[in-house]
Amino acid sequence: MAIFDEELVRLNGLVLQMGSLVEMAIKNSVQSIVERDNELARKVIDGDHQVNTLDIEIDEESIRLIALRQPKAGDLRLITTAMKITADLERMGDLAVNIAQRAIELNKEPVLKEYIDIPRMREIAQGMTRDALDAFVKRDMKLAKDVIMRDDEIDDLKHKILSELLFLMTENSSIICRAMRVTFVAQYLERIADHATNMAEMVLYLIEGKIIRHTSKLP
Amino acid sequence: MTDKVELEIKGLNFYYSGDIHALKNINLTIHNKSVTALIGPSGCGKTTLLRCFNRMHDLYPKHRYEGEIMFQDSNLLANGNDLIKLRSRIGMVFQRPTPFPMSIFDNVAYGLKLKGIKKKSDLAERVEKALKHAALWDEVKNKLTASAYDLSGGQQQRLVIARALAVEPEVLLFDEPTSALDPISTSKIEDLVMQLKKDITIIIVTHNMQQAARISDWTGFLMLGELIEFGTTERIFTAPSEKLTEDYVTGRFG
Repeated sequence: MAIFDEELVRLNGLVLQMGSLVEMAIKNSVQSIVERDNELARKVIDGDHQVNTLDIEIDEESIRLIALRQPKAGDLRLITTAMKITADLERMGDLAVNIAQRAIELNKEPVLKEYIDIPRMREIAQGMTRDALDAFVKRDMKLAKDVIMRDDEIDDLKHKILSELLFLMTENSSIICRAMRVTFVAQYLERIADHATNMAEMVLYLIEGKIIRHTSKLP
Repeated sequence: MTDKVELEIKGLNFYYSGDIHALKNINLTIHNKSVTALIGPSGCGKTTLLRCFNRMHDLYPKHRYEGEIMFQDSNLLANGNDLIKLRSRIGMVFQRPTPFPMSIFDNVAYGLKLKGIKKKSDLAERVEKALKHAALWDEVKNKLTASAYDLSGGQQQRLVIARALAVEPEVLLFDEPTSALDPISTSKIEDLVMQLKKDITIIIVTHNMQQAARISDWTGFLMLGELIEFGTTERIFTAPSEKLTEDYVTGRFG
């Protein structure tokens, strides 16, 4: 294998490594709420520096490859995709940290109600993240499109949670603090899914060479 | 870059003597006042194609063309064309600078004299204009009578470009014009090419893909005498449609 090909394989690997850390952070952050596990929440918060380190490493490696190898066509699209996907993953990692911070706050107070839709949102957001990364590795157009389609589902769930909580807050003002925190968590999960959607859009660019962001139609 | 067509190549085949089929059914549109780069591995036919545009192959009687190259409503491959006139309208710059063994001034005035311009003031004016156009005037204005061989390689190449520009061509063909030059001279020639496209149409053969990416608006990729893909340079270097093009521009050829 040519040196440049090995470098691209390595870059690919770094993105996946970062992706699996972020996926785990999303899972653990929500679990720390559902299971009221402060230790797990702290693990998410402390683990974010690993994600940040990879973010920088991938950027530096991409810039080096652009400068020294002058990539073209598919290679150029892979490197730009890696850089953009990484920016999304880094933000997703931060959002997982935000969820963990809300978990620690929520765990100090009595349980508001049983969590049903939040774990459901987590499942979808985490699944979208995993599938976007899978689509990246396998250059799977169908899977990437499927990720983009799932974004509506998570938006619907978020609205459902918000209206439910709003109703509870009007009934009982003593729960406002807790309800707001849960609202934030729903918001963060929705943002995570948005970033996964961005990743999937970049994967479509990687495969097809067409930028479809900010348009309503899939190719 | 305009949408106007300068040259329309239709079903072009070219055979070197002994019936070596060097170009196979080439169809291609060269746009007016733009830079078109022809890229491809050695022996792919890119220089052969370039040399069709001003009938350089006619220097060897057994070579033969088929098809058409329409240049402003007439087929430049037609029999009976005045080739001297054609070559003043479609000029050529080669890989190595080819100054004539005469002064800087006379090199540029050479083509003008052939065209019958004799008045000294006219010659002086057009030589100065051409040298300025080729971004060489400031470097040579005080030594116009010096031998062209006193110039550096990069300056000689710009002198040759000035000589071609003096007869006011509509199209200029460049055959790897910087492959014998250092990076600074190369970048001067590249700047010049990008300047010149305001006034003329340029077709350039280059082995240097970075150069094609830097200076051209359109790129054609040839292999084994066939035009594999043609499109805007931006598309060819970011998202080519053909696997062969992808392999070539990413350096994974063969």
